[in-house]
Amino acid sequence: MATQTESKSSGGGVLMRDRLVKRVGEVAAGAFVLAIGGLLVWILSTQVDYDLLSSPLIARRFAEAFFLVIQIVVISSLLSVSLGVLVGLGRISTSNVTGRIAKGYVEFFRGTPLLFQLFVIYFGVPRLWATGEFPFSDWAIPAAIIGLTLNHGAYVGEAIRGGIDAVPNGQMEAARSLGMSRVMALREVVLPQAWRNALAAIGNDQIILVKDTSLLTVIAVPEIMSVFRNINSNQLDPWTPLVWVCVLYLAITMSMSQLVNGLERRSDWGSDSRMFGRLSGLGSGGDDDGGEEA
Amino acid sequence: MTGPLVQFDGVDKSFGDTQVLYDVDVDVDEGEVVVVIGPSGSGKSTLLRCANRLEEIQGGDIRLDGRSVIETDINAIRQQIGMVFQSFNLFPHKTALENVALAPEKVKGAPEAEAKRAAADLLDRVGLADQAESHPGALSGGQQQRVAIARALAMEPRVMLFDEVTSALDPELVGEVLDVIEGLAADGMTMVLVTHEMGFAREVGDRIVLMADGRVVERTETRSFFDEPSTERGQQFLSRLL
Repeated sequence: MATQTESKSSGGGVLMRDRLVKRVGEVAAGAFVLAIGGLLVWILSTQVDYDLLSSPLIARRFAEAFFLVIQIVVISSLLSVSLGVLVGLGRISTSNVTGRIAKGYVEFFRGTPLLFQLFVIYFGVPRLWATGEFPFSDWAIPAAIIGLTLNHGAYVGEAIRGGIDAVPNGQMEAARSLGMSRVMALREVVLPQAWRNALAAIGNDQIILVKDTSLLTVIAVPEIMSVFRNINSNQLDPWTPLVWVCVLYLAITMSMSQLVNGLERRSDWGSDSRMFGRLSGLGSGGDDDGGEEA
Repeated sequence: MTGPLVQFDGVDKSFGDTQVLYDVDVDVDEGEVVVVIGPSGSGKSTLLRCANRLEEIQGGDIRLDGRSVIETDINAIRQQIGMVFQSFNLFPHKTALENVALAPEKVKGAPEAEAKRAAADLLDRVGLADQAESHPGALSGGQQQRVAIARALAMEPRVMLFDEVTSALDPELVGEVLDVIEGLAADGMTMVLVTHEMGFAREVGDRIVLMADGRVVERTETRSFFDEPSTERGQQFLSRLL
């Protein structure tokens, strides 16, 4: 009886402290939002040239860059995810040779900067041909796609490997004990589950891929950042084109996360939906705290 | 075929330096239900897992219908040996019906409609016709284990292995699974069961194999084992239970 009251009162104390922490957090987050919002309004009202912002010349140039980036993203995305599946399978291969090659590939492309890889492909590779013989007249975009694919293939490969590792061993055993070959068991039983396990991490990586296209400005791909640099140096006005840049990247990345959310919902089978509900509940709770940290 | 359907012949099994099975001989006749009992760590489950080569043996031989499982194609031999696991291991991304129909479709190449129809019949047999479209995550442990039994039966195996299939279940769910196994026994299915359910062992088993420390210590008719075990080990084991 005594312990019951005790635990009850201490529980109340914890609850009070929790509420206080929460309230402080809300105030801090609110102040932060106000400060950022104020700064933003000030920038938008004093720094942005709205005539320039809406001029068809700028709009057309950003639109061209935007569609080029979308094309590069779609192709590199499809290629890097396909490559990543192969790399993930290589990492779990029973063949020592395949496993080591996959591991070496991941270590190299995850361990060196994407910019370095782009330089190797864009500047280095054409020099391996005798002068003038290089088969691509415009190498920038192919080099960009190859670089993004190889770089992000390594990350996707690790996500897939993690997803495979997270599938309980009993799944493989059950499939094999029904007479399935290892390859069949992987295809029918293990990989579909691994895919779902890896989906969030893959989606995360593909959003990073979108933002990584901004590096392509240094290998002369006329993408969004190149348009910004051009306008900025001609007009000496950074803020106006920056508004365009921000909106365009967010448009791509936010559609991408919608797509990933949709894929995650589609592969949510059975009673796990309840767990997912709980997790997303936790997630929205976490957002409040995120404001304080930012 | 006059010999036993399944024959463990002097089986030795080690994990690294640790030997877990010593010269194990067990014969299982067609239509017979052999129950393997013994304290934890005595090698019961390992013995089952050796039969369909989830574990490789280091000595002796295991024969199915006179053919060595070691020398036969592993995927072919596994089709003839159904296995049910303690932790069900249903495929969570497939419905109950798809779980049962998958292997006949992919391994035996049965047409989809036919595999699905056979799967529906099997789910009916384990009392789950109404759960055909449910995913495993939506089923109770007892229901999942019954789907797992249907899944193993779908390959029309010659023998079924049950590896402590009720150990992971809540007590009130054990009965429904045991009922299904009893039904199989009544239909004449050859079975090897590892179990801790002594009452059930007594009811459904034709013969009892008592294992301890990786060896078979007693091998006898069920009735005589429970009435008066012939070995001291058997008497000890029973006295601790009763």
